[in-house]
Amino acid sequence: MMEIFNILEIIITSTLRMSVPLILASTGATFSMRSGVSDLGCEGMMIGGAFFGVLGSYIFDNAWIGLLFAALFGMLFALQHAVLHVTFKVNATLSGMSVNLLSAATATLLLQIIWGRHGNSPRVSAFSKIQADWLKKLPVIGEMLAEQNILFYLSLVIVILAWIYMFKTNSGLRLRMVGENPQAANTVGINVVAYKYFGVLMCGLLCGLGGAYLSLGQLNIFVDGMTGGRGYIAIVINAFGGFSPIGSLLGSLFFGFFESLQTIFQGKLIPSNIVRMMPYILTIIVLSIGIRSSKAPAGVGKYHDE
Amino acid sequence: MKDLKRKFAAGLGSFKLSFFALFFALLTGAIAIALSGYSPIETYKAIIVGSLGSKQGIILSLSSATPLIFTGLAFATAYKVKMINIGAEGQLYLGAMAGAVVGAYITGLPRLVHIPLTLLSGALVGGLIGILVVFLKVKFGASEIITTIMLNEIILLFTSYLSSGPLKPEDSVIPQTHVIQETAQLTRLAPRSQLSSAIFIAIAAAVLIHILIKKTPLGYEIQVTGLNRRAAETAGISITKMYLITFFLSGAIAGLCGSSLVMGVNRRFVEGISANYGYSGISVAALGAYNPLSIIFSATLFGILKSGAITLNRTTAVPIEFVDAIQAVVVAYVAAPRLIEAVLSLKNKIGLKKEKSLNRQQNLAEGEVIKDDGNI
Repeated sequence: MMEIFNILEIIITSTLRMSVPLILASTGATFSMRSGVSDLGCEGMMIGGAFFGVLGSYIFDNAWIGLLFAALFGMLFALQHAVLHVTFKVNATLSGMSVNLLSAATATLLLQIIWGRHGNSPRVSAFSKIQADWLKKLPVIGEMLAEQNILFYLSLVIVILAWIYMFKTNSGLRLRMVGENPQAANTVGINVVAYKYFGVLMCGLLCGLGGAYLSLGQLNIFVDGMTGGRGYIAIVINAFGGFSPIGSLLGSLFFGFFESLQTIFQGKLIPSNIVRMMPYILTIIVLSIGIRSSKAPAGVGKYHDE
Repeated sequence: MKDLKRKFAAGLGSFKLSFFALFFALLTGAIAIALSGYSPIETYKAIIVGSLGSKQGIILSLSSATPLIFTGLAFATAYKVKMINIGAEGQLYLGAMAGAVVGAYITGLPRLVHIPLTLLSGALVGGLIGILVVFLKVKFGASEIITTIMLNEIILLFTSYLSSGPLKPEDSVIPQTHVIQETAQLTRLAPRSQLSSAIFIAIAAAVLIHILIKKTPLGYEIQVTGLNRRAAETAGISITKMYLITFFLSGAIAGLCGSSLVMGVNRRFVEGISANYGYSGISVAALGAYNPLSIIFSATLFGILKSGAITLNRTTAVPIEFVDAIQAVVVAYVAAPRLIEAVLSLKNKIGLKKEKSLNRQQNLAEGEVIKDDGNI
C-alpha cells in the first residue's frame, strides 16, 4: 500500500514539473490565437527564453535577472513574428517558422561566440526548490508541492490572471473580438493592430518564461535542442484546451503526465516511445470524435483592412 | 499576347522578390558576421570556394540539395490549394521506414522491380498520411497544422521505437534497421559521396508536378481552388477532392524523400535520418515562390550554402551556424514582399525612379504573392 502511494507521489510530483513549461507556453499561445494570430513561433520563442535566460543569469549571476532576460528576448522573437505577420502581412506559417529557425540558429551561434562551446552553456545560478517548511506539513500534497520551484507557482498565478483577463475584463473581450472578427472590431473603434501586437508579445513573454523553466528551473544550463519540440506541443495543447488558459493548464497536465510516466518507467514496462505517443493519439481521437473541436477563433490570419 | 506579357511580369515579380530577399539576407548576414568580429568577405568567399570551388564541394552541394528539392516540392504542392503541410518531416520518416523495411526484408527481386517498389512504398505511406490529414480536416474540422504537428511526433516516436526495438539488428548498438538488399540500393554518382541517382528522381518529380499543375485540366482545377475556394465550389469543383489529391501528392513526395534517403544515402533507416529537411522545405518552397521548377534552384542554393558551411568550419573561425541564421533570414525576407517594398522605397524616397517603384508594386501584386487565408 505504502509502495503504491509512493509511486503515485513520484508521478504527481514529476507530472507537475513536466507540465510547467507547457502550461506557460500554451497559455502564451492562447493569447496569440485569441488575438487572431497563429502561434507557430512558440518553439522559437521558447528557445530564445531558454538561451537568453541562461545568458542573463550568467552575466548577473542571478536567476531572476535571467528570467527577466528570458521574458524580454521571448518578446523580441515574438516581435519578429508580429512585425512580419501583422504589419507586413506575411503568411503566419512562414513568419512563425522563420522565428523558429532564427532563434535556434541564434542560440547555437551565440553559444559559440560567447562561450566558444558547442552544444551547451556553462553552469549558471538557477531556481531551486521552494524553501517552505509549512508547505511540507500540508497533508498528502505537501511533499509534492514542496518539490516544485517558484516558477510552478508563478505559472499557476499566470493562468488564473490570464483567464480573468481574457474572460472577465473589457480589454480581454476586445482581444477576443479582434481574434474573432478583426473587421468588426475595427469598425467599433478597437485598435486591431495594437491588440494583435499585444497578443503576440504576451505569447513571446510566456513562451520565454516556459523556455527559462527548462534551462533555469529544471537544469542550470542551456543545452542545444533542449526545448525538444515543446513549442509545437504547446500549439497542440492550446487547440486541445479550446484556446483558453484553463484548458491549456489541463491539457499541459495531461501531456506532462505521459512525459513523467516515460521518465519514471524508463521503458521497463512499455517502451518509452510508445508511452510518449499516447497523448498524441488520444488527442487525435478526442479531436476526431468531436468531444472537442479544434476550431480556432474565426478571425485568425485575417486583417481588418482587407 | 497581353496574357503572356502579364505572365512574364508576374514571373519576373516573384523572381525579383526572391532575388532581393536573398540579397538582403546575405547583407544582414554580413552585418551580423562583422558585428561578431569576423570578416564578411572572407566568410562568403570561403562559402563559395568551399561549395563550388572543387569537385567534392559541388558534389556535396548537390547531395545536400536533393532532399530539399523533395521537401520543398512537398510543401509547395499542398500550398497550391492553400493547405499547409508542416508534416513533411513525419511523412519523410515514415517513408524512410517503409523503404527500409521493403528494401531489407523482400529478397530475390531483380533491381528493376525492387528499386521502384521500395521507392513507391515510401511514397505510398507518406501519401496515406496526407489522406488521413485531409480526412480529419474535412470530417471533423481539425486544422491540418495541428494534425500534421501531432503526426510528426507520433511518427518520429513510432519509427524510433521500431529502430530501437523490433527492427534493430542484434549486433547493433545504435537505433537503426538492417542494411537494405543491394537490389534496392540507388546508384551512387560519385564514389564516397552521398550523391545518388535520387537527385534525378527529385528533379523528375518537380517537372511532373509542374506539368500536372500547369498543363492538365486537373491542375487547372487545383489552381482555381487555391486562388478562390468559393469560386471553385461554385464552378462545381469538389474542394475535398482537390485537398485529397494535393495532400496525397505532398505526402507522397515527402515519403519519397525518405525512401530515397534510405536507398541512396544511409542504406538503412537510422534515427535522425533527416536533418530537419521537412522544416527546411518550407523555406525552400517560399524562396522558390512555390513554383516546382524554381524549387530545384532554391534547393540547390540552400545545398550550396550548406556545403559551403561545412567547409567554412574547416577553413575559418566563423561558426557554421551563420549559415542557418542566413537561411532563417531569407525566409523572413522572401515571405515579406511588402517588407522588401518598404526597404526598396526607402531608396526611392530620395527621389529616384518613383514610377518604376509603382510598376514594381504592380508586378509584385500580380506575382505569386503569399496571402494568408486563416489557417489554424
